[in-house]
Amino acid sequence: MLLRPPEDTLRDLDKIIIVCIFILVAAGLMAIYSATTALYTPEILKGNFAKQVLWFTIGVMIASAVVITPMKFFHKYAYWFYGIGLTLLVLVLFVGSGKGSHRWFVLGPLRLQPSEIAKIATILALARFAASEGVDLRRLKDVAIIFAIVLAPALLIIKEPDLGTAIVFLSLAIPMLFWAGLSPFIIFILLTPMITLVAAFNEVTFFIAMVLVIGTLVWLRARMWIIFAVFLVNIAVGVITPKVWEGMHDYQRDRIRTFVGFEEDLKGSGYQVNQAKVAIGSGGFWGKGWLHGTQTKLRFLPEQHTDFIFTVVGEEFGFFGVSLVMTVFLTLLLRALLIAGSVKSKFTALAVVGCVTAISVHVIVNIGMCVGVMPVTGIPLPFLSYGGSALWTNMVIVGLILNAGVRKFQYL
Amino acid sequence: MELTENNKRLIFSAALCLIFFMLLIRFAYVQLYKGDEFLQASEENRLRTIAIEPRRGLIIDRNGTILVDNRPAYALYTTPAELSNPKSDSACNILAAALKTTQQELREHVRRNNRGNFIPIKIERQIDFTTLSLLQERRLDLPGLDFRAESRRAYPAGVKAPHLFGYLSEITESELKQWRDKGYEAGDLIGKKGLERYHEKILHGKKGKRYAQADALGRIVGDLTGTNNQALQNVPPVPGKNLLVSIDASLQRHLETVMTGRRGGAVVLNCKNGEVIALVSKPDYDIELFSKPVTAALWNQLANDPAKPLYDRMVQSLYPPGSTFKMVLVFAGLEKGLIDPDERVFCPGYYRFGTRAFGCWKTGGHGAVNLLQGLEQSCDVYFYRMGLKVGLENWANYARLFGFDELTGIDLIGETAGLVPDEEYLDRRYGKNKWSKGLILNVVIGQGDVLTTPLQMAYFAMTIANEGHSFKPHVKRGAKDPMTGIEEFDQPDSVKIAGIRPETYALVKRGMYMVVHGSHATGRAAQVPGITAAGKTGTAQNPHGESHAWFIGFAPFEDPQIAWCVFLENGGGGGANAAPIAKGIISLLLNENKLVPGPKHFAAAR
Repeated sequence: MLLRPPEDTLRDLDKIIIVCIFILVAAGLMAIYSATTALYTPEILKGNFAKQVLWFTIGVMIASAVVITPMKFFHKYAYWFYGIGLTLLVLVLFVGSGKGSHRWFVLGPLRLQPSEIAKIATILALARFAASEGVDLRRLKDVAIIFAIVLAPALLIIKEPDLGTAIVFLSLAIPMLFWAGLSPFIIFILLTPMITLVAAFNEVTFFIAMVLVIGTLVWLRARMWIIFAVFLVNIAVGVITPKVWEGMHDYQRDRIRTFVGFEEDLKGSGYQVNQAKVAIGSGGFWGKGWLHGTQTKLRFLPEQHTDFIFTVVGEEFGFFGVSLVMTVFLTLLLRALLIAGSVKSKFTALAVVGCVTAISVHVIVNIGMCVGVMPVTGIPLPFLSYGGSALWTNMVIVGLILNAGVRKFQYL
Repeated sequence: MELTENNKRLIFSAALCLIFFMLLIRFAYVQLYKGDEFLQASEENRLRTIAIEPRRGLIIDRNGTILVDNRPAYALYTTPAELSNPKSDSACNILAAALKTTQQELREHVRRNNRGNFIPIKIERQIDFTTLSLLQERRLDLPGLDFRAESRRAYPAGVKAPHLFGYLSEITESELKQWRDKGYEAGDLIGKKGLERYHEKILHGKKGKRYAQADALGRIVGDLTGTNNQALQNVPPVPGKNLLVSIDASLQRHLETVMTGRRGGAVVLNCKNGEVIALVSKPDYDIELFSKPVTAALWNQLANDPAKPLYDRMVQSLYPPGSTFKMVLVFAGLEKGLIDPDERVFCPGYYRFGTRAFGCWKTGGHGAVNLLQGLEQSCDVYFYRMGLKVGLENWANYARLFGFDELTGIDLIGETAGLVPDEEYLDRRYGKNKWSKGLILNVVIGQGDVLTTPLQMAYFAMTIANEGHSFKPHVKRGAKDPMTGIEEFDQPDSVKIAGIRPETYALVKRGMYMVVHGSHATGRAAQVPGITAAGKTGTAQNPHGESHAWFIGFAPFEDPQIAWCVFLENGGGGGANAAPIAKGIISLLLNENKLVPGPKHFAAAR
């Protein structure tokens, strides 16, 4: 009963999304092949192309399983998944491994990242809570619970530490709250201190940010006391942040800089950012051609088959290839949003929005990092970066989206 | 304000589109606007220019014998990455022991020259065969070690004339400043001293260039591919030209053997064009030791050796020329009309001037001598008297006319000009009117303040032999391009000594003939049966020890082919000790018909 597919599954599958996934995975495989067949490729990387093909094959099976599972199942066990996810995140802090961190479990040849499982679990838990009867987002308590749902795993992940992934978790809340009906006005007020936090390091940007925030509030005809409160909070953040920063020891500041990825050391991550830009920029419009990227072949970039995979696309296929891949991503995301906007079930819609948010944040942060507008945080590019556990998570996400598309008219 | 599902979707979609569009603008900026800049940066990342050393030119003697050749040697390279980790201690130990250095020094050298952990650096050049095989055996314990062929000088003809050839050594920092624009880099070999240095430009050739690509760690991973930059075509090296020198290997070898264990040397010139046929200076140093890097210990030992083996005595050192300089006075006196060749002077064995008696070398005296007899027997008293007649200024003018205060311009490094004292010089040296007129008696017999190099004396002999038609002494005859086989010969630089009448030359030459062939000949030891020769002996007193022995001259008398100067530092009497060496020169070159008919260059020089 549970696993019986609805008769119209095949017909109702969103073919465009499937085509997008295949294009993206194909692009990723080409880039992985190029990045791991250089002259001095370490032995350990040489089989990565074949492994990724295997991971994708398994991923297709996982996605199929997700598609034929009724949405009810995910709704019913959402909190259970969330509980398991949190437990694993706690566990990984004690027995996990990683480069100077505790990010994954090693199970024989497999590396399992609990943050991947927690990502899906958190999306489902958020969707279930926000879609529950009696939850009213005008109540501060309910909004606080939603923030608590993302904050718990995010804090555990920061502890690993893995800031990039934590950002993905934190960013899930706002779009889902927005979709669940929280007033854009409140969302804006919630966002202002974050803008101020970044802008506060320079008097001019701080002033501009304050003028924009207050100006927008006045334009939106906010109540006087709200404007005043927001103004006070922002001033406080703006004044305190630089003071706190200056009060820190040098090593603490360095740690934060490295943590956030603003290190401009040419041998450290600054080197990566620079070489990534050189690789992408040198591709020009048409690129140097597949397997002909010199930055790629001569290994000027570390992690090029994983986090920096998009630089291979940029170097070997140029602006043309970059535009193509980004268009495919956008098509995938817009199609998914189309499903979210048309499903009858609020839980399903919110789950799809969560999925879209997760993929979007990954894509924007990763691509932005490659082209030097985002800090180096080490989160992979969905469907392109090498790695089984991330690919499977993304295939589950795709499965959920396709599942929602197939069961558009069901109320659970 | 409640948004419809559709509006939420539109807002979300618009936000995504906006962010993606902004990212794409950034890509357009990086790839399209800045694309060329980054393309160049990526090319610079991988591009490595590797210099290809040209083959150095050989040095070939007048008969085509190779005097200086190249033979393969090996330079030792290591990869810093392999020596920088602490586990490398054993490798470092083996290496340090093989190279006779300490582990510390080795690591320091690697650290100082490190240009990238995977870029090999030279740690020793021209390692000997024993070291090579020793290291080869332990290759497994020595990761990162590499040998590269480089050329080393070899001297196959057995002519080991360090002063003449010079040697090669790594370019110094101060030399680099001067030579960098000619393509030299740190670590390159450059000629030091002698022909190797003087003709560096001819011998060195031009470096080639190979463009290769390197990976992020600096490892060369093959030729540069996928570039359409025409400027990056490989350039083959242009080998250095072979230096064709006028040295005769057998004479040079002969003189080196004769001079072994003695101090001094010989210069033999070709009267027809100024070519240097032999140039030997002893003591010298083992040129083979200088064909590989010279240790500080060896260098200090040579530099502090009281025998001064690093000096080319023929070219760099100044000595009082003794009686060989007497001809200068004869030229001055005859040309100024102050000497009557028939005038006889009585020599009692000394000459009293003022309160001092100036002795003749022959304490018993020569009796009454005229000019020719004075030359033949080298009678000092005769020349004292004539010197007073001619005067210091006239004498100095003629010494300068023969170029004794100038460089001959030979193509060797470090030539020194002689010293011709005149009144101005003596005033400067001793103070005005503080010097005795008796000084002139000393200088006209080549003693005291007058100083020359042996090379200048050989040049003087050549000028007399040619009756004023002299040539700049030179070792290089020409150069041969090893690629095309084309030989180019130099025109000898003719030097004319003007203002001396042929009769004067005839008289002086006659006197020099008598020195070898006369009945009282002081230079009879130079006689070679069947060959006429002319010369002049010299025994220059030396306050620091034994007299210096000189013998200059030319042969054959009728049509001079060669001129020479034999010099023995503290060698005693010129006639007894230097003249026999000249005999060897004459018999070797003229008896065996070595020069006449000479190689084609002789014809060209006429």
